[in-house]
Amino acid sequence: MTETTSMTQASGGGLSAQKLGLIAVAVLLAGLIAVPVAVGDQFVYHIFITICIFAALSTAWNIVGGYAGQLSLGHAIFYGIGGYAGVILVNLGISPWFGMFAGAAVAVVAAIVVSWPCFRLHGPFFALATIAFLEVFRVLALHFRELTGGATGLMIQLNIGWEWMVFRERFPALLIAFGMLLVCLAVAWAIRSHRLGFYLVATRERESAAKAAGVGTVKVRLMAVSISAALSAMVGTFHAMYLTFIEPESMFSLQFSIQIAMFALIGGIGTVWGPLLGAVLLVPITEFARGALGSEAIGLHGFVYGVVLMLVVLFLPNGIMGVVHRFTSGSEKAEGEQAAPVAAAPRSAVPHEAGREVMRVEGLQKHFGGLHVTNDVGFTLREGEILGVIGPNGAGKTTVFNMLSGFLKPDQGRVSVLSPSGEWQEPASPADFATLGVGRTFQIVQPFAAMTVEENIMVGAFHRHPHVGDAREAARETAHRMGLGPYLNAEAASLTIGGLKRLEVARVMAMEPRILLLDEVMAGINQTDVRRAVDLMLSIRDTGVSIIAIEHVMQAVMSLSDRVIVINSGQIIAQGDPQEVVRDEHVIEAYLGKEFTHA
Amino acid sequence: MDTFLQIVANGLMLGGLFAIVAVGLTLIFGIVKVINFAHGEFLMVGMYLTFLLSTGMDVHPYLTAAAVAPALFVLGALTQRLLIQPLMSARDEHVQIFATVGLSTALMNLALLVFGADIANTPAHGVRSQVMLGEVRILTGQLWVFGAAILLVIGLQLFMKKTRTGRAIRATAQNRAAARLMGINDKFIYVLTFGMGAACVGLGSSLIAPLYPTSPTIGTYFVLIAFVCVVLGGLGSIPGAFFGALVIGLVDALSGFYIGSDLREAVVFTIFLLILILKPSGLFGTRMNLSHVSP
Repeated sequence: MTETTSMTQASGGGLSAQKLGLIAVAVLLAGLIAVPVAVGDQFVYHIFITICIFAALSTAWNIVGGYAGQLSLGHAIFYGIGGYAGVILVNLGISPWFGMFAGAAVAVVAAIVVSWPCFRLHGPFFALATIAFLEVFRVLALHFRELTGGATGLMIQLNIGWEWMVFRERFPALLIAFGMLLVCLAVAWAIRSHRLGFYLVATRERESAAKAAGVGTVKVRLMAVSISAALSAMVGTFHAMYLTFIEPESMFSLQFSIQIAMFALIGGIGTVWGPLLGAVLLVPITEFARGALGSEAIGLHGFVYGVVLMLVVLFLPNGIMGVVHRFTSGSEKAEGEQAAPVAAAPRSAVPHEAGREVMRVEGLQKHFGGLHVTNDVGFTLREGEILGVIGPNGAGKTTVFNMLSGFLKPDQGRVSVLSPSGEWQEPASPADFATLGVGRTFQIVQPFAAMTVEENIMVGAFHRHPHVGDAREAARETAHRMGLGPYLNAEAASLTIGGLKRLEVARVMAMEPRILLLDEVMAGINQTDVRRAVDLMLSIRDTGVSIIAIEHVMQAVMSLSDRVIVINSGQIIAQGDPQEVVRDEHVIEAYLGKEFTHA
Repeated sequence: MDTFLQIVANGLMLGGLFAIVAVGLTLIFGIVKVINFAHGEFLMVGMYLTFLLSTGMDVHPYLTAAAVAPALFVLGALTQRLLIQPLMSARDEHVQIFATVGLSTALMNLALLVFGADIANTPAHGVRSQVMLGEVRILTGQLWVFGAAILLVIGLQLFMKKTRTGRAIRATAQNRAAARLMGINDKFIYVLTFGMGAACVGLGSSLIAPLYPTSPTIGTYFVLIAFVCVVLGGLGSIPGAFFGALVIGLVDALSGFYIGSDLREAVVFTIFLLILILKPSGLFGTRMNLSHVSP
């Protein structure tokens, strides 16, 4: 409920559009039942059952292909597993209502086996791998005749009745298909509006930034694939009962997999309702073509699919939902009001005193091939301290950062972090670091481009607030603190570079880190923003957060840092009080060359 | 021993056939950085053209290559110009995949509409007669395909290394922005490359048509195998695709005999998956700038 209320506050104009959208969906869904009942024709029933099945499959596909951005062209694997599990069990006398869960369980196992090794593959490679897996499944289904009937296929025993999902009339079948569609839509909607959905989209947009925000990227993808596979298998079981006959060529078909994905793309990939729209629009056209023209028009429906697909990617890359959004989201642009001044705490007059140690870095070594990028780097960080890291370009500062946040494994040496409960731990992965309260930004900003500013910050806020309402609240608060308040509903991609840098900091701040690693957050922003950023960092520090900041803006380094480390050629060449360090001979030499050391 | 030699010979000949399909695919992939899912349908179109020309005019199918290869060049160039080029800057690579998948679906079903599901047999004109090489029997057509594949690979390599256009193509593949700064018309290069890739498969289709019956779905089988060869040989590498094709031909023939002919494909695709997952740069992988398509 909190979500709806916060939506109301967000945009008065957006609400009516949203309500309108929900009404449209409700009408559409009601029509899926009402139209065939009203017409009463067998063929119309068949078309609407097919719409429900394809819409359900496409909605399930969209959880992986849309939300998670893993373009699977092998989703028939799960559909086929569900179909075969259902039919095999029915022929053993077990009801498909149980069979569908057995199929779903097998499909989940298959999904994990198929996708785990493939997650490092992107885009076309993931698609190719899923096609290859599909081919393997098809060939195996043809091979193991005792189980699957091989190329001759399997007939189901015709037991009529609800417990067997087989009926003389079409109406009960339509009800089941419709029910499955509702389940798929409900699951897809639930995922999209909860933390998992945000995490999936964030992982799709920027995997490394998602990791830094504490997202278990492999875990959330496996969850998405498992859910999607289970749903697809359940639909597959029902479809097999409806068809009463299955064979490997039709159950594990590449063309079928492509169609499932295609409906989602045409309706609007990654949106909750897009796949439904795509199926509602396309299935009737092609089924009519098939039914009316019969065997003369073999290939016609496929031809229409192919042409529509090309036209959609060329002219409507965001699908039908993209068009709908263009008309409804006019009011959601940034209002362009002045950025609120940052409510920074006044600089404390008393010199800041650093507390106990919170991070220990010992003897870090890193080689990239023959290049020794990090050579025996070690230091400690205290609670509530700002540690400035400076050094010429290419000195290896960012490499050290990557080792302090789990993105790179040092060849030697270790990084230990004091946990909130007071024990020293050695985290290994970005997720471990995030769990211990280490947050980082990236030198080259990594926004989740397709998400709004608010959603970007929410991905960080979820780290402490698993519920959407709380996370949204925390994200807004952070956004206002960072002067991003006016842009909450703007797409991250529309921000200026200064805005993106602030967004980068806002996302990590929303994680409420105990240790903050800032990588050149002031590079390339104007003087006013630098001063604001300095005040902001001091106010963050005063809440007890420890900060390590790589920075080139010397004015900021000097006024901020309690201590400064100078890195050159992968080694620490000086450290200590900022004023002393800049007078150090080695430092001047590293920056300006030997002849300047006595200047 | 004779059987074994015969199987190896069959495998190598099959490899030559795969190679002539895979070379065009890897060329397009290496330069334009687009995986052309419609490549198999290009082959299918070429085979139907060969069938129509050679039966209609009663000429040797090999001679039709003089018309089929240019026709396919136009088809490929148009694909790049009208379908891929508008999508080159798309933020999301989904759209490029779907674009070629859509083209593939449309072409395959168009063939179904026009020719029906029946197969078309291109007249053999003697290329299905056998010759003996020592103890081993081979179809003359297979030898021609194998020879053509070798010549095609060598010819393309020479073109890429020695000519001005070839260098421009390689430069564009390495770094598109830098190539543009050097005055290379990158859009033209992409259209040219896509056309060349399609022309390669056009040449192949005239050679393959007398050996294999033509059907609307023939492309699917060949394109999947061609993907395997291309990944095995290192994406974008022309000699790699050739050797990858030979390996896959051998695997196909040997596993068909020793494991079971119905499981050949499972073996081939399992190898493909292992390569993709364990060594995505391929067995003969070359270092290329694939930054926007690989992990």
